[in-house]
Amino acid sequence: MVATAKIADIAGHLPSQILSNEELAALYPAWSAEKILDKTGIRQRHIAAPGETAGDLAMCAARKLFARGVIGPEDVDFVILCTQAPDYILPTTACVLQHRLGIRTSAGALDVNLGCSGFVYGLSLAKGLVETGAARCVLLLTADTYSKYIHPLDKSVRTLFGDGAAATAIVASDDPAPAIGPFVFGTDGSGAQHLIVPAGGFRQPRDASSAVETPDDSGNMRAPEHLYMNGAEVMAFTLREVPRTMKALLEKANATAESIDFFVLHQANRFMLEALRKKLHVPADRLPICMEDAGNTVSSTIPLALESMRQDGLLASPKRLMLIGFGVGLSWAGCILSI
Amino acid sequence: MNTFYEGLAEILEVDASELAPNFSFADANADWDSLAIVSTIALVDDTYNVMLDGKSLAACEKVADIEALIDAARSRNA
Repeated sequence: MVATAKIADIAGHLPSQILSNEELAALYPAWSAEKILDKTGIRQRHIAAPGETAGDLAMCAARKLFARGVIGPEDVDFVILCTQAPDYILPTTACVLQHRLGIRTSAGALDVNLGCSGFVYGLSLAKGLVETGAARCVLLLTADTYSKYIHPLDKSVRTLFGDGAAATAIVASDDPAPAIGPFVFGTDGSGAQHLIVPAGGFRQPRDASSAVETPDDSGNMRAPEHLYMNGAEVMAFTLREVPRTMKALLEKANATAESIDFFVLHQANRFMLEALRKKLHVPADRLPICMEDAGNTVSSTIPLALESMRQDGLLASPKRLMLIGFGVGLSWAGCILSI
Repeated sequence: MNTFYEGLAEILEVDASELAPNFSFADANADWDSLAIVSTIALVDDTYNVMLDGKSLAACEKVADIEALIDAARSRNA
C-alpha cells in the first residue's frame, strides 16, 4: 500500500537576544518605534549570538520537536535543512545535525539553499521521499541567521529580518487522501540581484574591497558582503507572482478560494501582506499576520505561523490551508495543506 | 484621484487635504524614502492596476511626477 505524507508536528525556536524597535529608532532618526511597528508589523526580532549558528538554532528547534513526543530522533530517516547561513562551506550542515541530534546513521541528510520560499520546497521534497517509499519520517529543518549578513545601519533590512528556526516532522500516513499538495513552483533568476549578499561566494570572494561600506540614496550603509534588498523590485515581484500562484494552485487543486480556511503566506512584513491580502481579496481573519515578536525569519516564517496558529486554537479541528512562500532567488512556491 | 490621495497621504504621513499635484516632498519635509516608494507601488497597483518602477518613483519630487508615471503606465496598458 502506498503511503501518503502528512505533517505530524511542528516546533519553533528563536534565539534569546532581542532587538527592539526602540533600539532601532535610536539608530534611525527618521523612524519612531511606533512607525516601525505600524509599517512592518514587527515589535521585536530575535538575534543569534556571536558564534550561534543556524545549525544551532535548527538543533534547538529539533530538540523542542522531539520533547513534544510525537516523533523522536530514532524515528527520523531523512534530514532536510533549509538555510542560507550554513555552519561551514562544507561539510553539509544537515550531516553535522544528524550526529548532534542522535539520528541514526542509516538516515539521509542534505541542505537546501533557499530563503523565503524554502519551507514549501522542503515540504515538496519530504512528500516525494515519503510517497515514493524512500523515507517514512522526514525531519524538515528551516533555520537562518540573516542578522549576520546585515549592516547595523541598514534600516531597509534590519527592521524586517529576525533569526529563527523551525522543525517540522513529515511522516507516512495510511490515509489515502494526500494531506500535502498539490504544489505550484516558480523561479525567476533574472531578479537574482534584487535580494542578494553579493560578496562571500566564489563570484566575488571576500577581500578588502568587499568590506568597503557606502551609503545608499536613503542613507542606509552597506558593503558588498552585506545583505542588499531592492524593496521596490521585491514588492513588484510579489504583487505579480503571488496572485498568479494562488490562481494556479486553486486550478490545480480544483478548489475555490472559499474552500481554503487560511492563507498562510510567507511573513515578509505587514505592509506587503496587507497589499497582497487586498489583491487576493481574502478577508483579514483568513490571512494571518504572525510576525510581531519574531520579524521575517526567512524560511521559518510559515512553520512559525503554523505553530502560533496551533497555539491560538485555530488548527484545533482539521483545516485546509494554502501556503505560499516567495523571495530570494527569485523563487516562489505554493501548496495546499490539510492539517 | 481620491483613493490615491488618501493612500498617499497615509504613506507620507500628511493630511490628504494638503496633497495637490504641486505638493513637493522636500518642501513638506515628507519622507520620500524606500519604504514610502514600496508602499506607493502597492497603492498604485491596488488603485489603478498598474505597476510602477521603483527607480522612476525614486526620482519623483512632487505628486504630479507620480501622477505622470501612473498616466504613462495606464496608457501603455490601454
